[in-house]
Amino acid sequence: MKTLFIVVLTGAFWLHPLLAAEEAPTITISKSDVVAIAVSPIGGANGASVTKIVQNDLAVSGYFNVTSAGSAGLIVSGDSSGSGLQGKVVDHSGKVALSSNYSGSARAKAHEFANDIIRTLTGNPGIAGTKIAFVSTKSGKKEIYTADYDGSNVQQLTRDNSISVGPSLSADGRKLAYTGYKSGYADIYVIDLGSGSRERAIKFPGTNSGAAFSPDGARIACSVSRDGNPELYVCGVGGGGARRLTHSPGVESAPTWSPDGGEIIYSYEEHGPQLYRISASGGSGRQIPTGHGYCTEPDWSPDGKKVAFNVREGGSFAVAVLDLQGGQTRVLANGESPAWGADSRHIIYASGGALYLLDAQSGRKVKVLDGLGKITEPAWAR
Amino acid sequence: MKKTSQTLVHTTLALILPFALSSCALFKKKGASGGAGGSDGDYVNGTPLADRQEGVSFMSDNVDKKKFSPVHFAFDSYSVESSDEGKLDEVATFLQGNSNTIIIAGFTDERGTPEYNRGLGERRAGAVREYLIHHGASADKIQTVSFGAEMPADSGSNDSAWARNRRAEFGVVK
Repeated sequence: MKTLFIVVLTGAFWLHPLLAAEEAPTITISKSDVVAIAVSPIGGANGASVTKIVQNDLAVSGYFNVTSAGSAGLIVSGDSSGSGLQGKVVDHSGKVALSSNYSGSARAKAHEFANDIIRTLTGNPGIAGTKIAFVSTKSGKKEIYTADYDGSNVQQLTRDNSISVGPSLSADGRKLAYTGYKSGYADIYVIDLGSGSRERAIKFPGTNSGAAFSPDGARIACSVSRDGNPELYVCGVGGGGARRLTHSPGVESAPTWSPDGGEIIYSYEEHGPQLYRISASGGSGRQIPTGHGYCTEPDWSPDGKKVAFNVREGGSFAVAVLDLQGGQTRVLANGESPAWGADSRHIIYASGGALYLLDAQSGRKVKVLDGLGKITEPAWAR
Repeated sequence: MKKTSQTLVHTTLALILPFALSSCALFKKKGASGGAGGSDGDYVNGTPLADRQEGVSFMSDNVDKKKFSPVHFAFDSYSVESSDEGKLDEVATFLQGNSNTIIIAGFTDERGTPEYNRGLGERRAGAVREYLIHHGASADKIQTVSFGAEMPADSGSNDSAWARNRRAEFGVVK
């Protein structure tokens, strides 16, 4: 982990000129460390709820052990008044590691502060306040719902009274694509979450499914069967400029983009589904060896280094993570449809009708949402 | 490398038709035609679908779903079973003798992940469609849709329920 340590240290310098100008900070956080941090009660009218949210965000991040002030190497403090929050982090020698202002609702500014703490100390983006989407049967039909990654703020998004499945969120969380059967066929709909407007965007003859937004949000990769067989396609978000990527006798499904938008990983079924990768502009698909005979529902991590996917073990499904550089696959949890968070560390997946948050680093799992009908197919904005 | 022109489709069908008829090589076994998995080869598979008819779908009232009984598939397979060929020949004959169009809906059992199931269901519908085309039905009269593991024929979680659910159904447009 030495290399990581250096990278993280450098990141902290860049992100915090104050530290760079002085001597090296006494505390930095490498990927394998868990650092003791304390959150002093934040002052102001909604200080108590801000304190609680920041504590939870830091604990869930995996980088911190949230503890009492006496034993902590880092101390978080702040003052919350009205829509403003003045937040500060000092190390045990009293040196200021972070001091900044945030605004918005108690929840929004607390998440923003927590993400800033994580970014400053680790160099990695945080997941606090990020949006997830999923399928729930709560209404009696499969509909799309959204929530915060920690299971709060649940909202029913579709009311198609049909079958609505396979949600995908754009990286900025502003758009959601899903497979809807409102027409009686499987079409890809795109919803602008800001305005609420919806478009039946990809509606070729046959089945259109498995939408995935490109990292820049301008294109959608999906599986389209207009040619008489499911093939990978890339289209504009409105469905225009459709381009066929594969020409194969089997089934392409569940495309996922590389962080630079140049490549796509997908599941290809011919003799048992396997992971493949292909240039987003076409060409030849190449198999990615995983050591597993059944590999579906891949999701490429935002840092580009890993792929989370489903393997079948016995009669049930497990969440596996493939390290693309080293080539090793680790099976981490029982469940389906894994989706990476912005930190390329946490994964949301569905199991037994509930949603779980998995720290792929530590293996720790937390149930984040249950009791909402049967929950399946989570997606996570980055 | 976009080789989906009608001419090429017809040429390819003409080349593979004898094999398809003699042993159903194309459908008997998954991937029996041996295309390089996921690669951009010369393999032209399937016959393009015609545009959908407005106001008509597998879910609409103007479709008769009882006229033909479903055909079934082995686990994780999209091969047409030889025991179902008689049933499919009836459908092909019907399509040749009537102006009706049909919609084939593909389904899977619950033992697959969601996107994989939607793809597999569509491939099953496509395999049935290709069989009908190779037995004289007009490609333009057959649409496909996949519901994956949705709308199971049997809501049980056991071998016999799963076997009933791995199916393709026929909706005849009235």
